[in-house]
Amino acid sequence: MHIERIPLLWLLLQATLVVTWGFNAEMDTGPSAGAFAQSNSDRFKIEGRAIVSGIKPQDWVSSARVLVEGEEYVGFLRTDGSFAVNDIPPGSYVVEIISPTFRFEPVRVDITSKGKMRARLVNYIKTSEVIRQPYPLQVRASGPHSYFMKRETWGWTDFLMNPMVMMMILPLLIIVLLPKVVNTNDPEMRKEMEQSMNMLNPNPELPDVSELMTKLFSGSKGSSKTGGSSKGARPAVKRR
Amino acid sequence: MAKFILLFLKLLAILYTVQAVFEDQVGKFDWKQQYVGSVRFAHFDNQIQSSKKVLVATEKNVFAAINTRTGELFWRHVDKTGPEGNIDALLLQGQDAVMVVGDGRILRSWEVNVGGLNWEMVLDSGSFQSASLVGHQEHVKYVAVLKKAAISLHYLSNGHQKWIENLPESDSVDYQSVYSEGKGEVFVLGLVPHSHITVVVYSIDDGEILKQFTVEAPWMPDLQSSCSVIGKGMLTCVDAVVSSALTHCTFLPLQSIGLEVSSGFRPVLVSSQPNAARPPLSEFFLQIGPDQHVLLQLNKGQILTLRDFKPAMLVSFATTGEKTVAAVMSPKNKTASSINLFSAETGRRLLDTTLIFTMDPNGGKPEKVGLITNGSGFPGRVLWTREEALSDVVTMEMVDLPLTATQAELEGEFGKKADGLMSMVLKRLSSQLILLQAWLSHLWKLFYDARQPRSQVKNEVTIENLSRDEFNLQKMMVMVTASGKLFGIDSKTGTIVWKHYLDNVPSNAAFKLMVQRTTAHFPHPPQCTLLIKDKDTGLATLHVFNPIYGKKSHVTPPLLPQPILQSMLLPLMDQDYAKVLLLVDDQYKVSAFPSTKNVLQQLQDVASSVFFFLIDANQGRLSGYRLRTDLSTELIWEVVIPAEVQKIVTVNGKKANEHVHSQGRVMGDRSVLYKYLNPNLLALVTESTDQHQERSFVGIILIDGVTGRIIHEAVQRKARGPVHIVHSENWVVYEYWSTKSRRVEFSVIELYEGMELYNSTVFSSLDRPHAPQVLQQSYIFPSAISAMDATLTEKGITSRHLLIGLPSGGILSLPKMFLDPRRPEIVSEQSREENLIPYAPELPIRTEWFINYNQSVLRVRGIHTAPSGLESTCLVVAYGLDIYQTRVYPSKQFDVLKDDYDYMLISSVLLALFFATMISKRLAEVKLLNRAWR
Repeated sequence: MHIERIPLLWLLLQATLVVTWGFNAEMDTGPSAGAFAQSNSDRFKIEGRAIVSGIKPQDWVSSARVLVEGEEYVGFLRTDGSFAVNDIPPGSYVVEIISPTFRFEPVRVDITSKGKMRARLVNYIKTSEVIRQPYPLQVRASGPHSYFMKRETWGWTDFLMNPMVMMMILPLLIIVLLPKVVNTNDPEMRKEMEQSMNMLNPNPELPDVSELMTKLFSGSKGSSKTGGSSKGARPAVKRR
Repeated sequence: MAKFILLFLKLLAILYTVQAVFEDQVGKFDWKQQYVGSVRFAHFDNQIQSSKKVLVATEKNVFAAINTRTGELFWRHVDKTGPEGNIDALLLQGQDAVMVVGDGRILRSWEVNVGGLNWEMVLDSGSFQSASLVGHQEHVKYVAVLKKAAISLHYLSNGHQKWIENLPESDSVDYQSVYSEGKGEVFVLGLVPHSHITVVVYSIDDGEILKQFTVEAPWMPDLQSSCSVIGKGMLTCVDAVVSSALTHCTFLPLQSIGLEVSSGFRPVLVSSQPNAARPPLSEFFLQIGPDQHVLLQLNKGQILTLRDFKPAMLVSFATTGEKTVAAVMSPKNKTASSINLFSAETGRRLLDTTLIFTMDPNGGKPEKVGLITNGSGFPGRVLWTREEALSDVVTMEMVDLPLTATQAELEGEFGKKADGLMSMVLKRLSSQLILLQAWLSHLWKLFYDARQPRSQVKNEVTIENLSRDEFNLQKMMVMVTASGKLFGIDSKTGTIVWKHYLDNVPSNAAFKLMVQRTTAHFPHPPQCTLLIKDKDTGLATLHVFNPIYGKKSHVTPPLLPQPILQSMLLPLMDQDYAKVLLLVDDQYKVSAFPSTKNVLQQLQDVASSVFFFLIDANQGRLSGYRLRTDLSTELIWEVVIPAEVQKIVTVNGKKANEHVHSQGRVMGDRSVLYKYLNPNLLALVTESTDQHQERSFVGIILIDGVTGRIIHEAVQRKARGPVHIVHSENWVVYEYWSTKSRRVEFSVIELYEGMELYNSTVFSSLDRPHAPQVLQQSYIFPSAISAMDATLTEKGITSRHLLIGLPSGGILSLPKMFLDPRRPEIVSEQSREENLIPYAPELPIRTEWFINYNQSVLRVRGIHTAPSGLESTCLVVAYGLDIYQTRVYPSKQFDVLKDDYDYMLISSVLLALFFATMISKRLAEVKLLNRAWR
């Protein structure tokens, strides 16, 4: 940076010298045109436009900023949503439009030492990858920021649609309603039902599921006690 | 498929750790205060009578519009820091505010109502001198910018340059101001010091020089402060004499109009030009003494004295429509001053326009008087004040609030020695009665408040009603600002409870705030000590105060005649429960504060285990010392980092109030990996002196502060600062800029002892034979960083989050889980068991993790975290240009019912169940009875 400044200063000095000389010679020349061109030759500006569809720029530009590479260079948005960040030396920069309400995707802008501009997608992992973006930048808001988490609200529909509740309620309905729909007093029907039950439960020797469950639960509940009982059981086995 | 599973797992992990603010919690636990900094330029937007704006440009490169009724900000634009964003001039014309920025580099015009930019122009280089609006035929159309060697005229509507001209003889003449009065001419005033004034007149149309002449003024040292254009084309300058000159030159001794300048004072002129298209007023103020102003009128080359104001601190003109008034602020007594309005034409006082302005003697000095004039008259009270010192908070602490008087009464009972059974019982009874009474009055207050509409219930915070809440969530924030003003702010509401202005604080002071005694030791008041150190000389002073009331303590701090190198707060306490502060001077002598006999005795006992370190950043030397029993010191180790290659940027220890709950981490195979928890560990960050992007590097060295042993050393090549670092528990997280890939990167180092703990009961730096295992991993962070810290909780059970202040204004709460060097690249059964997130190079930034949602906090300089009484809750204060306070729950609120807990639902379900059992019981009884009858 420092090294760059010195030739610049020297050139400026030269320019002013030329200028004063020119001034003395003839009053009418556009005097500091030389200086102007020089000072702009290694500082460039990034231009573009931010668009939030459906919202007037006046409503959001006052809280927005354009940040180039963190806070190294700062630009502001005009009342029509366009922006220009001045005084930027050649390099590669990430340009972000910061607004507390709207989300904008950042863009990487490369500026060559000759002042050629190129905009591309930001890719922090493959930094050399180039997916071109339009320049001057056209940055569209991708919607409002979502800052908040949704509260878990409690509603009857949520409660009823809960699979656990459904699993509870449906069998209940079957138990209550089925006997009413089907006449159980009819002996033919009863026979049919018994048959179908047998079909479902082909091996009557197998223990019933509910029985198994009750056994399992009673067993786990008294796990500390079972130790004692098993001790008691062991001699019984031996005795046999 | 594997990728899909990975993604799913990642999602699961993210869902698991999600924590965000609920929409209905907005403003419930958090508050934000926005500041702009100390004001450099201020203009009232008085184009429309009903306008309520004052536009300010400040030292902090902020341009803002403040509501004149409430003092709140309409909008604010924050430019970059440093000289490139410096605001040189602010001019207001109608709805446009024109600003010159960065030493005349950029000319900006703002639309004042919307707060948007009209246009921005880059000007030629050259140091800025002055800017002025230029009017032509009753309309203000241009703005003139005067630089060292050129003057340019720009259109006000679009910023385009109308013309630019070089100034004649600009290397010898110092052109200082530009002026116009709407007649097609622009006057440029230059000065050759102690010789003459040069006036160049340009034509507005084409920039042609119309006239050029000089006026001899050998006595004139400076144009800007002592000269001013008054009336129709009169340049009035003041020295020991008042002279007027522009077209002709006359000298007028001040004595002839009966004025005398107090000796040693340089008189200053204050004038006003309400409309750039018209000549300035012919009335002006002349300050002839530190507290004396004279209102003068220039009339046909004669100067008349309208009124003499003595004492008067500040004066100002204000214009509404056609009328101009002068406001004079004069001190009334020590704490109050009055502002009076006078008619500018006659100097007569306007009726009913006295405003008494009470000024806190601790409040500092006012700098500017601005006036709001509206049709109805002058409001006779202070509408608002803004504490702009808070835009520059340097350091802060959070102090527990004291107990209430009744609670204290109860506590006091236990503190005293027993004096008989009977009196003890009586005391007990009486204190219980007091408690009952307090509870009843509290209930009554609740009832009373509930009956009133919500808007009328005012919860004014005063020192009297500040007391600790049951979970210790409300604390006192003690903030130290760069200007030397201390603030006590209630953390729940953000109300400023006290302020204290410290005199004679050097401008380049470094501050260190320490809590010597907390509120836990009841009869003794809490005590904070502020060490103020002049950075150049190293000389320091101590300010001891009560953090709850802000009052200076009666304890007299020791005078420190020698420069101070290091200060530290020992865990030792004197008989009054104040922690001992040790100060090391440049002779390596140690002094203690408080330095009672008891303290010195204790110090002698523990001297052999007191170690400290000193940093000499210039020479790259870090040295460790030990305390001897006679309070002299002994050098025991020294680490030299070659200063030609790299410089020490920061040295970071651990927080003293940090607790670590678990000694190790349970692995997937049920073994335990023990953490290396060295409380003496220092993290040292260095940056290379070579700034070339290929050769620059960032180094990190972990050193044991007692033995000087280097535990670990790492270098990040092709990287440079600024480095932000957080050092806590057994990990160090730091952030740097990778010059190769042009991105911000995070790196985390974790230290582990291994599968066995060497000595599980106590940690000693002198007795740790095994070097710790070091794990490190790096990540990409998709944003720059302005500040970083980690959450802190009471017992350290809650998982940790990193709080990262971003330049965009968000404060990101990033789970430490994402910065874990054990994140695997390939997911295995074990890593899944451990809940490790698979490695991904880029760290996510999700707006749901912004703890401050849309309340942007700009230029965050520091984030302060403090534990609350609830383990789940951590209090966070982010300070910079703004101050933001909130609570975070890194592992959600596991120890307290959620604030949206549905009491109605649970009680209705319970009631329903209760009635259902009653009814079914009854039915069952009936059925049993029926069966028995059958």
